[in-house]
Amino acid sequence: MRIRQHPLALLAVALLLVTAGTALWRSAAPRQENASTIAAQLLCPACQGESVAQSQSPMAAAMRDTIAQQLAAGRSPGQVRQWFVDRYGPGILADPPYGGLGILLWLLPAAAAAVLLLLLLRALRRRAPAGSRAPDDAATPNPDAGEPAVVEPTVTQPVASDRPEAAPAGARPLRARRTWDAVAVGVVALVGAVALAAPHTRAADAKTGDATQTTSTSTLLDLARSLEGQGRYPEAAQVYREVVQEQPDDDRTRLRLALTLLRSQQPAEAARAAQQVLDHTPGNTEALLMLGLAQRATGSARATATLRKFLAAAPDDPAATEVRRLLDSKS
Amino acid sequence: MTSARRRGIWGVLAGLVVLGLGVTLAAGMRSASGGTAPAGGPVTQVRDEPAPPLRGRTLTGATFDLAGLRGKVVLVNVWASWCDPCRAELPALAAAQRRWSADGLVVAGIDFRDNAESATGLLAALGVGDMPSIADPQGAAAVAWGARGVPETFLVDRTGRVRAWAQGAVDASWLEQRVPPLVTS
Repeated sequence: MRIRQHPLALLAVALLLVTAGTALWRSAAPRQENASTIAAQLLCPACQGESVAQSQSPMAAAMRDTIAQQLAAGRSPGQVRQWFVDRYGPGILADPPYGGLGILLWLLPAAAAAVLLLLLLRALRRRAPAGSRAPDDAATPNPDAGEPAVVEPTVTQPVASDRPEAAPAGARPLRARRTWDAVAVGVVALVGAVALAAPHTRAADAKTGDATQTTSTSTLLDLARSLEGQGRYPEAAQVYREVVQEQPDDDRTRLRLALTLLRSQQPAEAARAAQQVLDHTPGNTEALLMLGLAQRATGSARATATLRKFLAAAPDDPAATEVRRLLDSKS
Repeated sequence: MTSARRRGIWGVLAGLVVLGLGVTLAAGMRSASGGTAPAGGPVTQVRDEPAPPLRGRTLTGATFDLAGLRGKVVLVNVWASWCDPCRAELPALAAAQRRWSADGLVVAGIDFRDNAESATGLLAALGVGDMPSIADPQGAAAVAWGARGVPETFLVDRTGRVRAWAQGAVDASWLEQRVPPLVTS
């Protein structure tokens, strides 16, 4: 293949290179850093796959406050990041520096791509002078290797010059098959190597292992939602209770528990759950609403004050209209 | 070079790549799985590093400074009244305080992002109102200690070094296993 014969391909490659260069230049350009960009670069240690900026957990909120305090005290963004790395290890960084075994993850794909390219170039080179030269493998047949005899006559036959790809036609299916066999064996070996070398403590840690816990938690949450959907509120509440027991700082589930308790006529416990959320996030308007409704259901005198506080904090909440109606009907 | 030999070299190379990938993946899984966890207990990591500073006002308004407790073994517990496992472990911590205080054990709390009223109410209800607990409304102290959630417990030896770190609620057997070696040393 001659490159000059394909101006479109050349143009596409040039365009890709220019775009990649621009992207690199833009990402390397210095950016303004503030508390929220630093929070976005740190992973929330209490959650799975969420940054400190995204997470609703109290620990992430504490970390956001800490970042703001440190910046206010005059520390540089780099110093703040290092402060967190000193305490939580390099795993706290969403984009950790390369090094150690991790560098293999970058090198191996590059090496694999290079090998593929090499093979491709070799294949192209072999095709080009088709007819003039037989492939290397066929030129030096090796009886020791157990090469099937059928390969040889096919590849050594003279080849029509207008159909160069017909040259190794007999050999290719066999070689392709062998390649696929090798790939399959490689994949099986890889899986086997990981299974053998991976730690076996996972099963023993099932109760406390983060990954296992997250899986079982999401299963439990699915179950609770399904129970809610069927109107089985007391059972759903029991499942939410279990999740909250495992993950005490999961506000969202605790509020879900409060709502389910309200629906299953257990307002006193619903009020307690909402109050617990308010204890560490006093500004949580959903918790205020839940607490007010729960207090109202228990006949508490504080219900009106709590609901008014909710209206003051979230006048545009979708529930606000309904709450105003409730308060008006009472007064 | 014969084709058989060349194929052999390619085979060995492919084998090495597969092995390298396997080792990388396995190492990644191993480092992600972290500390040891006996069935039902907290995830515990053995540490040996200087304890971060811990000073501030307790829930009762007294001043507290960990640096002044050099020579004592200190159990630093990150807790909150809204956290159910914390409520469950507080009696065990109080029992440890009573049992080993004569040997130089002090139990200190970091009350993480909590309502002070709820927190003191809970301590009083559990009969552990005398446990000094730093009010940490913004969670700055817990973050400075590298806490990842609540409850967490750090065991600090007489020289001021963190010797163990437990994620999750500790219980009587955990305390029985970890505290005596430090208080008797």
